[in-house]
Amino acid sequence: MLKYVARRILQMIPVFFGVTVILFILRAPGVLPGDPIEMLTGDRVISEVTYNQLVQKHGLDQPLYVQYVTYMKNLFKGDLGLSYKKNRSVTEIFVEKYPYTLRLALAAILIEMIVGLSVGIISAVKRYSFWDVAVTLSTSILVSLPVFWLGMLMQVLFGIYFKRWGLPYLPISGMGNPPDLAHLIMPAITLASVSTAYVARIMRSQMIDVSQQDYIRTAEAKGLKGGAVVRKHALKNALIPVVTFIGIDLGAMLAGAILTETVFNWPGIGYEIYLAITARDWPIVTGGVVIVVIAYMIINLLVDVSYAFLDPRIRYGGEAA
Amino acid sequence: MSTLLEVNGLQTYFDTIDGVLKAVDGVTFSLDRGATLGIVGESGSGKSVTALSIMRLIPMPPGRFAGGDIRYEDRSILEMSAAEVRSLRGNNIAMIFQDPMTSLNPVYRVGKQIGESLRLHKGMSRKSADVRAAELLDVVGIPNASQRAKDYPHQFSGGMRQRAMIAMAVACDPDILIADEPTTALDVTIQAQILDLMIELQQEKDTAIIMITHDLGIVADMVDNVMVMYAGRPVEEGTVDQVFYDPKHPYTWGLLDSLPRYDVDDKGRLIPIEGQPPSLIAVPSGCAFHPRCPYARDVCRAEEPKLSNLGDGHVAACHFAGSSGFVRGSTAGGAA
Repeated sequence: MLKYVARRILQMIPVFFGVTVILFILRAPGVLPGDPIEMLTGDRVISEVTYNQLVQKHGLDQPLYVQYVTYMKNLFKGDLGLSYKKNRSVTEIFVEKYPYTLRLALAAILIEMIVGLSVGIISAVKRYSFWDVAVTLSTSILVSLPVFWLGMLMQVLFGIYFKRWGLPYLPISGMGNPPDLAHLIMPAITLASVSTAYVARIMRSQMIDVSQQDYIRTAEAKGLKGGAVVRKHALKNALIPVVTFIGIDLGAMLAGAILTETVFNWPGIGYEIYLAITARDWPIVTGGVVIVVIAYMIINLLVDVSYAFLDPRIRYGGEAA
Repeated sequence: MSTLLEVNGLQTYFDTIDGVLKAVDGVTFSLDRGATLGIVGESGSGKSVTALSIMRLIPMPPGRFAGGDIRYEDRSILEMSAAEVRSLRGNNIAMIFQDPMTSLNPVYRVGKQIGESLRLHKGMSRKSADVRAAELLDVVGIPNASQRAKDYPHQFSGGMRQRAMIAMAVACDPDILIADEPTTALDVTIQAQILDLMIELQQEKDTAIIMITHDLGIVADMVDNVMVMYAGRPVEEGTVDQVFYDPKHPYTWGLLDSLPRYDVDDKGRLIPIEGQPPSLIAVPSGCAFHPRCPYARDVCRAEEPKLSNLGDGHVAACHFAGSSGFVRGSTAGGAA
C-alpha cells in the first residue's frame, strides 16, 4: 500500500510540471488576446516609462522560460508571485480565499452524502413505490436544471418572497460577517443539487443491482432481518462506485464553484480565478490552477486508497492476491 | 422415522406481464428425519422454486403461494409470521446454493459470514462465534482453518468456498439441509469431495437433505427417494431403485435414455428428449409433457394425468403408467 501511494505521488510530478508549462505557454504574447498591463491600467493613459516600470516589476520583460524557472523556484518556497491587478501576494490571496471555498465544498459534500445516499437507499428498498417514482422524477428534473438558474430561483423564493410574506428568509448574498450558517444554506444546496441527484440515482441502481446478488439471498437464508441484510450485506457493496463519484465531485468542488460562487457573491477561489482570467492577471490564474490541481490529485489518491478499505479484493502494490 | 417436512400440493405462481407463471404447480412430497430426497428435472422445471418456497425466500410480489401447504414439524411454514420464518431459516432449515463464487459476500471475512447465523440464532458473542466458525471450517476440511477464517472469499478456491457455504449452512445444526445444485459450478474432482462431506455431516447429525440437481449420477449415489419434476409438476416419485430401475413415466425414460452408458452399443450417440421445455405461462393442455412425448395419445392432450399409485410409494403422473403393454421403448406412436 505504501509503495503504491509513493508511486502515485511520484506520478503527480510530471502532471504538475505539464500543467504549469501549459499555463505559461498561455502567457506568451499572442497566444491569448489582451495585454496584462493594459488590463491593469484600464482607460488611463500612462507614459511609456510607467508602462516599462510595470513590465519590469512583474518580470514580463524576461523571456518566458526565465519567467517559468523563476516562478517554479519561488513556488517551492511557497511564493506564488504578485498579482498584477491587486498588487498583492497571490499566496496571501489564496490563503485568505481558500477556506471559503473549503467551507462551501464541505457543506455541499455533506448534503450530497447524507441526502443523496439516504434518498437512493430508500428508493431502492421501496422500489416502484410512490416515493421511488417521486425521487426518480425529481432527480431527473434536478440534473437538467442549470445550477445558476436554480440558485437564482432559490434567491427569489427564499430570499425575496419569503421576506415579503413575512416568513423567515435566507440571506441571498455573501457569507455573512462573521460567517454564519444562514448564509451557507442556499449556496451549499445549489452547489450540491446536481451531484446529490446523481448520487441518489447511482445509489439506487447500485442497491437494486446488489440486492439481486446471490450473497444477498445467502444472507436472507441465514434468517437475517431485511434491515440487517441491507445494512450489513448490501450497503458496503453498493457504496464502492458511489464513493468514486463523490470523491471526484469533491475534487471538482475544491477547485472552486464558479457558477455558485458568482450567483451568491461567495468569495471563494472559483470566482477569484474567473475574475483573474478576465483581467489577464496571470499570477492569480496560475497560482489558482496549481492549487486546484494539487487538491484534485490528492483527493483522487485518497479515493483510490479508500477502495482498498471498502473492497478487500483490491490490494495495491501486489501484496496478497 | 418421523415426518419432518411435508409439502402438500404446493403451488408457487409468479404474476408477470405476460400472465401467471406457474413455476410450481402441485408438488407433494414428505421428508423424514435423516432422509435424503433428490429433486431432478431440467432447468425451469420448478426445482429451485420449490426449495426457495420451503425457505419462504420467494420474492413477493411478483411471487405468491396460490395453494397447497408446507409443514415443518406439523407447523405451516406458509402461515408463519415473517419473524417465525426467520427463526427457522439458517437455524432449522438451511440452504446451500449453486454458485459458491457469488454466494459469499465479497466484502466480509469468511469466518464472520459463518459466525453470523451463530450470533443470530444461538446468541453467541462475537468472540465465541469466531472460534466456532473456525472450528466449522476445520470440520468441512479447510486446512489451517483458524487462519483461513480471516480470509476474504476471493482468497478461497471454488471448492473451498462451497465448503465454507456448507460450514455456514450446518453452523446451527439444522434439521433440513437444502442443497440447490451444490456441485454444478465445481470441477468434477471437487464434486465428489463436496458430496462426501455432505453425507458425512448428515450421518453425524441425522440431518435430512433435499438434493436438487439435474445430475442423475448424484441422485443415484446419495439419495433415498427421488422426485422427477417437469413443468412445475412432479411426474414421478419413488425410491431410487423404483425410479431408476423401474421407471414408469416417459419423461423419466427420456432422462435416463439421454445418459451416456457403457453397456449399450449405441454407436456413441446419446438419445436426447426432442423439443424444448414448455413455457410455464402457457403450459400445454392435458399432460404438460405430451408435445415431447413419443407415446402421446389423444387423452394426453385432453386430460391432465393424476399421480397414480404404482405400489410401495412409487407414483407417476401418466395416463398409461403401470398399464400392461406400456413399456419403455415400445414407441406406440398412437395418434401422434
